[in-house]
Amino acid sequence: MSTMNIEVWLYGPLARYAGEQSQGSYAQLNVELPESSTMQDLLDYLHLPSEEKGITFINGDLAALPGLDADRKIVLHDGDRVGISHSRSMWPMQYRFGASMTEEIKETFRQREDRGVHHAYNDSKE
Amino acid sequence: MGKMLRLNMTDRSATLQDLPDAYKYLGGRGLTSTLVYDEVDPQCHALGPNNKLVFAPGIVTGTPAPTSARISVGAKSPLTGGIKEANAGTAFSPAQAAMGLKAIVVEGQPADKGKWWMAYVSWDLNKKQPTVEFMPADEYAGRDLYEVFPELFKRFGKVSIAGIGTAGEFLYSNSGVVFEDMEGRPARYAGRGGLGAVMGSKGLKFIIMDRKGAPGVAFADKAVFEQGRKKLTAALMEHAITKPKGALNSYGTAVLINILNEAGGLPTRNFSSGRFEGAAKIAGEAVFEGNKERLGKELYNHACSPGCIIQCSNTWYRPDGTEHVSCQEYESIWSLGANCGIDSLDVTGELIKLCNAYGVDTIEMGCTLGVAMEGGLLAFGDGKRAIELMHEVGKGTPIGRILGNGTDMAARALGVTRVPTVKGQSMPAYEPRAVKGIGITYATSTMGADHTSGYTIAPEILGVSGKVDQFDKDKADLARNFLEATAYIDSTGHCLFIAFAILDIASGFEGSVEECNGVLGTQWTMNDVGRIGKEILAREVAFNRAAGISKAHDRMPEFMKYEKLPPHNVTWDIPDETLDAVFP
Repeated sequence: MSTMNIEVWLYGPLARYAGEQSQGSYAQLNVELPESSTMQDLLDYLHLPSEEKGITFINGDLAALPGLDADRKIVLHDGDRVGISHSRSMWPMQYRFGASMTEEIKETFRQREDRGVHHAYNDSKE
Repeated sequence: MGKMLRLNMTDRSATLQDLPDAYKYLGGRGLTSTLVYDEVDPQCHALGPNNKLVFAPGIVTGTPAPTSARISVGAKSPLTGGIKEANAGTAFSPAQAAMGLKAIVVEGQPADKGKWWMAYVSWDLNKKQPTVEFMPADEYAGRDLYEVFPELFKRFGKVSIAGIGTAGEFLYSNSGVVFEDMEGRPARYAGRGGLGAVMGSKGLKFIIMDRKGAPGVAFADKAVFEQGRKKLTAALMEHAITKPKGALNSYGTAVLINILNEAGGLPTRNFSSGRFEGAAKIAGEAVFEGNKERLGKELYNHACSPGCIIQCSNTWYRPDGTEHVSCQEYESIWSLGANCGIDSLDVTGELIKLCNAYGVDTIEMGCTLGVAMEGGLLAFGDGKRAIELMHEVGKGTPIGRILGNGTDMAARALGVTRVPTVKGQSMPAYEPRAVKGIGITYATSTMGADHTSGYTIAPEILGVSGKVDQFDKDKADLARNFLEATAYIDSTGHCLFIAFAILDIASGFEGSVEECNGVLGTQWTMNDVGRIGKEILAREVAFNRAAGISKAHDRMPEFMKYEKLPPHNVTWDIPDETLDAVFP
């Protein structure tokens, strides 16, 4: 089976999932996965538990926020850059309003009554 | 009844007057902007005798309302030529509020230049009112504020300080008004827009606020206040961003560095890219881990001012475990780091400390250095030379004076056309080509490019939800709502960061309104918030229009329309009509 290379950045406490490649506060590693692997496959490879995964980017597009898990099924491609932040990261609404995001998370926002105009989605009252 | 204190620097006289009825429901930015609108000729020279500098605590400042010790400082800005309000968290604000001083207005101008004064404001126990003594302050001029503040505390005891550094003495357009933090450091700035120069132009080096014996803030209805305080406190304690050991308390505002960098929205090397290869080394997570390594233990952040429960201010330590600087904020690390191609927290820490020592705004300074690097004065990434230039700014050498007057000034001096400013004020740390919404705020804010002008709270209450949303092509309505909500929060005395919790938790928002009712005796509901914000903005826009700032100034710098920003390779493509629709 042919493989592909993914550039992975792990931030804060997630750096430890890079093992010896951890720089303490972050890690940058190259992950080789079978072609057509998904984000979930990458997380499985890293042994990164879902409750620790925070704001996530694929090629600079917002793909997931804590409580808005819209990226698991996304198929990755050779050369993709994936950035995964930790559960204590934040990206307030006014600072991501109009930023680039995946079609999957856009659709997730659209289906919500609040249309995604909130800061956090995990433990906030609606 | 609330009072206003006028400090006339022409003859060094002080006048105490009752707060006019028209001002009785105003506080913070609402009061500074209204006073500037009412009393300052929009066409006056910002550094001449007819400008006025106003200090106003917020509506609930000085009460036990959580995270509410902000002081608003307002005037006509020498940087933008328009109205300005900048605010800071500091014990100075509750001290002023405790004396019943809803506003201090500094006016006039002394005839003799080069002499410095301070105003010592204390409580007269016999007359039961504030009293003022003017004293010479020449011995403190021309010096590092980290030396001067301890001397002032030694001389006056437990007081609060508002003041200027050498940047304000030199009348730099990039000079802030400094206040003390909880440890007495000269580290809390009403930084933006050159308000330090306005203070300097009046020969006023410090206001020393001695609250001993002052009665504190009175309540119209303590029960209503308490009800509100509890709701807001609960929201702040619960929300992921604001709760203890949450995002801000653990990693500070710099937790945003890695996020914006991944998003391709971290302005790098004078706004030539949206991604910095060294970003992870200067992020909030790196501050946390760096301190842990240097101190041998985990260090969470502290409060900048009394009564804050968010506590987002960090302290950076040297390799030997001694304190280097507080605080390495997101904006400061970005401007003096990524925007200058610098990837060392020790270098950004030193540059931030020098900004505090001399009295300049870190955002404006980092953008100025970025432009200077592009103009060939020094190389991108050259932290050593950047530190040397900061000393030139502080000492007032010819090149220091060019850099101390802001990004536009430096760009003209050095022939640079990639100039990241709106209305003369430098952009903060969100690339508008990559994050379009914040660009609308930069363009249309009454303050010039300002990331704190457009926070949002509970959109369903502001009537936004269901009408427009973040994916509509026309974003003007949402942007206007952000601007209005922010003008309200800036008037309460609360830190803008309460917005993180009250956007998501409506009872917290309701609590913030009830707190105001408890102090003022008003019957506001959440529906009044938009109106209050709208009224403040209307005065600010009217002042700016009369000062010659038109809709044509509500624009992004031209280079952003034709230079593609990596990694998304995007340009600024929001139509001008959208910007014009924000303040129709």
